[in-house]
This record gives sequence, structure tokens and C-alpha cells, in this order.
Amino acid sequence: MADTETSPPTNVLIVGVGGQGVIMVSKVLAALCQLHGLQVKQSEVHGMAKRGGSVFSHVRFGAQVWSPIIPHGETDILVALEWSEGLRWLDAMRRDSGTFIADTQQIVPPIAFRDRRPGARSGYAPQSPAAVLEMVGTGFALDATRVAAGLGNTRIANTVLLGALSTALPFPVEGWISVLRDFVPPHTVAVNLKAFQAGRDWVESGSRPAEEAARPAGARVAVAARGHRLEITEAWCKGCDICVKMCPERCLRLDERGLAELANPAACTGCRVCEWLCPDFAVRVLDGLGQPVA
Amino acid sequence: MDTLSLDTFDIRAYLREDLLPHFMCPGCGHGIALRALLWAVHERGIPKDRLAVVCGIGCSGRVGAYIDANTYHTTHGRPLAFATGLALARPDLEVVVITGDGDCLAIGGNHLIHACRRNLNMTCLMLNNEIYGMTGGQVSPTTGGGRLTSTTPYGNAEPTFDACALAIAAGAGFVGRGMTLQLPALKTLIGEGLAHPGFSFIEAISDCTEIFGRKNDLGSAPEIILRQKSGMRPDTYGNIVDRPFQAKAMRIGVLGRNDRPEYGAAYRAAVAARIAP
Ligand code: SF4
Ligand code: SF4
Repeated sequence: MADTETSPPTNVLIVGVGGQGVIMVSKVLAALCQLHGLQVKQSEVHGMAKRGGSVFSHVRFGAQVWSPIIPHGETDILVALEWSEGLRWLDAMRRDSGTFIADTQQIVPPIAFRDRRPGARSGYAPQSPAAVLEMVGTGFALDATRVAAGLGNTRIANTVLLGALSTALPFPVEGWISVLRDFVPPHTVAVNLKAFQAGRDWVESGSRPAEEAARPAGARVAVAARGHRLEITEAWCKGCDICVKMCPERCLRLDERGLAELANPAACTGCRVCEWLCPDFAVRVLDGLGQPVA
Repeated sequence: MDTLSLDTFDIRAYLREDLLPHFMCPGCGHGIALRALLWAVHERGIPKDRLAVVCGIGCSGRVGAYIDANTYHTTHGRPLAFATGLALARPDLEVVVITGDGDCLAIGGNHLIHACRRNLNMTCLMLNNEIYGMTGGQVSPTTGGGRLTSTTPYGNAEPTFDACALAIAAGAGFVGRGMTLQLPALKTLIGEGLAHPGFSFIEAISDCTEIFGRKNDLGSAPEIILRQKSGMRPDTYGNIVDRPFQAKAMRIGVLGRNDRPEYGAAYRAAVAARIAP
């Protein structure tokens, strides 16, 4: 960290895709640096072309910071909220002395499916976490999204990574916590603090490349009492809760992973309200033979 | 399962399943609106290779990408212009435009009024979620009075456009409004629009749960979609009427219909009259 006017600034690059909270992480870091009386410059590109697209934010701090842009290859810490975004920016890092902190969660963009034949492989980055950690000085690949899901809210994965980031910078933990408190909505303070701590704990427990993130595949089919079947395609369900709340019989619920499931097959009348209102086409009401109800 | 009989519509027959899950946020109404469109297409028996869907830019602009038919992702505000060329050149196609409140009324506002004026045979489905969701939540022409957006941090003071009134005034052949909450009614409305031989404008009330909903503290996705019914949408003068579960000012259903000549037929007749001896 810069103590004198002549020492260069510390460069932190935070990357991810739209909606993950890249900007939130960089704002917390920038505010914390300001509290410590440092100069901070932050610049970002987000939401220019498409949601779900690449977002990045440069945070530079030190006694004296002139440019808001990190020179290529001089990133001290790269924080990636999405796995392939981390790979995309590897070149921006100081390879020998830099620190790489990434969520292994994959958000596969539609463009990764250029081969449109059924069963074709996606074009998503095939590199495994272990292979990437080989390529960097200090690397942490954690399944922050799963850690966040364990705390009940996948949206706080960014705070888990913020916790991991906090271990790589010399600011006292109390400062991080007080800034974080100010930045998150009041009713989410407690869970965000837990997520922050979980990120710190993960790093302190010794870094290990996370296993492949378990992702739901296929469909779960439940047979309802009247002979029809309710099929929920878990890979498509986003846990929005609409089917659960709109079912007139209240027979659905979100399971521990936050995905819809038919909790009370005896009560399901096959009315199809869940199928109609699911914005993600994840629910189908089928007759006993697997055909859509006719 | 005769007791459960409604129809044999399975949306997956019309989707590019390998692109799913789609990119839209949890609870986003656009997926429901897409179901309404494809269900109407199914009911009208339109073959997929005769369906041409033209989209603009924005969250609404991405909706078309998931349809297994002829789809066309165009520039911001211009899907109606592209579709006009397409419908004139290929009157055999069923041309559908999917656009958003910002794409259709702001950037593409001029194209909308002239598409209504020409009355060319196509169906324009405008997904109204009161915001520019994709670009970061800026105020749109349909954002309700007092609403918070990233460009109205003190509450929106602009008056609101009534897109249907605009389309009627500009001469659209068929105008209607539906909501994603009432999916079967929206499907029927779109079906009528597809059937109408002229320019059909349909406004689908949709929801932006993550950007608009969060910014305005509207609650969870089910709460947000239920607000469509409870009358918390802006009325035609842009005021938000917070009276849960009361029928209110925003009218839905078929709002306008006329029998003006369809432009494509009129154009071809004019050309034929000149060329014929
Ligand atoms: S078909 Fe109807 S009753 Fe059965 S789970 Fe869906 S909404 Fe509930
Ligand atoms: S409505 Fe669809 S996406 Fe939402 S929880 Fe139910 S199955 Fe999942």
C-alpha cells in the first residue's frame, strides 16, 4: 500500500456480469479507502449494451492517484464475480505478484451456444479452477454463490467475495464492516455481515480450488393425485416464487436450494396457473403419459 | 385427462430450448408475455417458418431470440421500420414486432406513429415495464409519476404516455392492452391482433422486478405481478393510484379498432394499376 507520495497506487479490478454487484463491491472498497484518508479513483463500464454482459470497475487508491484507469498488466488484485469474466481479465494482472479472487460460479451467456444442434456443447470457457490457479501468483477460487446460497440468498455472493478481498488488503476488519453496513439495505445488514465473514473464513481456512459447482440439471417430475404430472425444469427455474404464491391450492414451495417443487401433490388440481405464470417456462403440467395436458 | 382440458399448447415447441434459461431476471414479466404471444401463434395455427419476429434493443429486444422461428434483432427504436420493409416485401409472412416502452415510445416514437398511420399488416407487441431495464434503469415515457429511477432520484415528474391512446390517435387498425397477470386474456388479445388485417398495437403490462421493483421497493416478484391487478400502475395522467384491489383507471382489453385500408394491399394495388395496361 502506498505510504508516500511517490509510491504507486494499489490497483484493484473488479469484474463480473450485469446484476452481480460489481459496482457495490467497488463502492465499498472506495469508501473504505476514503475513510483511511487515501486518494481513490474509480471508473467503470456497465450496462452499456446488454444486461448479463461484461461489467468491470477499476479502483485505484494510494497517497496520490492520477489516472482512474489501471495500466494494462498492473492489476494487483483481480476480483471476479463470474468465472469466465475472471479468465477474460487475467492478462490485466501482475502475473507474479498479483492476487486472483474468483467465484467459480458460471453464468453461461447465450452467445456460448453458437452451435445450435441439439446436444451440442456450449462454448463456455473450459478451463478448470485448478488450471487457472496454476497461472497466477496467489489465487482463490471459491464457490461464493454456493456459500451465499447456504446463507439463504445467492445475491450476496458479491459480499462473500468482498470478505475474501478484505483479507488481501491491509485495512482493519472493523472498517470494512462499518462501510458495508452503510452500503447495504438495512434489512440485509445481518446476512451481508455473515457473508462477509464467510468469505474471510474461506480464505483463512486455507485456499483450495473449489470443486465443480453443482448445478441443477434435468427436470423433476412429481405425480399429482389426479394422475397428471407436474414437471419442473430445475435448470431453468430462477426461484422467483411466482408459481408458489399464485398457485390457488398453495401446493408448491421453494426447496432449500431456492427452486420450485411440488410439495403437496395431493392438492394439485392441474389448473396450470403455475405453468402459465412461470416467466422461465420451467413448469409443465403433463398428463399421465408425459404429454402436455390436452 | 379430459377434465383438465384447455388446449395442447406446449411452449417448448416454439422455443430454442438450447438457449434456456433465458437471460431475464427472476420474476421478469417478459417471459410471461412471450408465452402469451406464442400461445396466440399456436392457436392461430401459424407455422413457425411463416412467423417473423422483429425485435429492437432492450430487455424486450432479447425476447425474440428465444423463439424458434424467423427472428430479427434490429437497432434501438427501429424494429417497426425493419418490420415495415419486411412486411411490404413478404406479405406472406406473419410479421410480429416485440418492443419495449422505451424502444417503441421514445427512441422509436416516430416509427410508431407512422406505422399506425400506414396501417400495414403486422402486430406490434409493446412490453411496458415502465423502465429502461437493460441499460441501468433510466426513466422511460411510461414511468409513473413519482417513481424512482436511476435518472429520477427525486421521483419522476414527467407526465406519462398512454401508448394505446397514442396508437389510436395515429390510426392503428387494432389497439388493445393486456397484462401478464391475466395471461389467457392477453393471449386472446394478441390473437385478435394477429387476425386483424392491418396494424395491430398491443400493450402488454409487464414487470421489471429487479431494477424498477427494487428501486421502488415494490416487494417480491409475486407481489409485483399482483400489483397489476391492484391498480398501483399509473393512470393515464401519470399518477400512481395506490388502492389495492380496486378496479381503476388503466383500461384493458380491446381499446380501438377501425377498418382503414391496409397499406400493403393499397400499395400493391397502386403499383399494379400503374403497371397494368
Ligand atoms: S397445476 Fe395448479 S394446482 Fe397444480 S401446482 Fe400448478 S397452480 Fe398449483
Ligand atoms: S415461477 Fe418458474 S422460475 Fe419462478 S419459482 Fe416457479 S418454477 Fe421457478
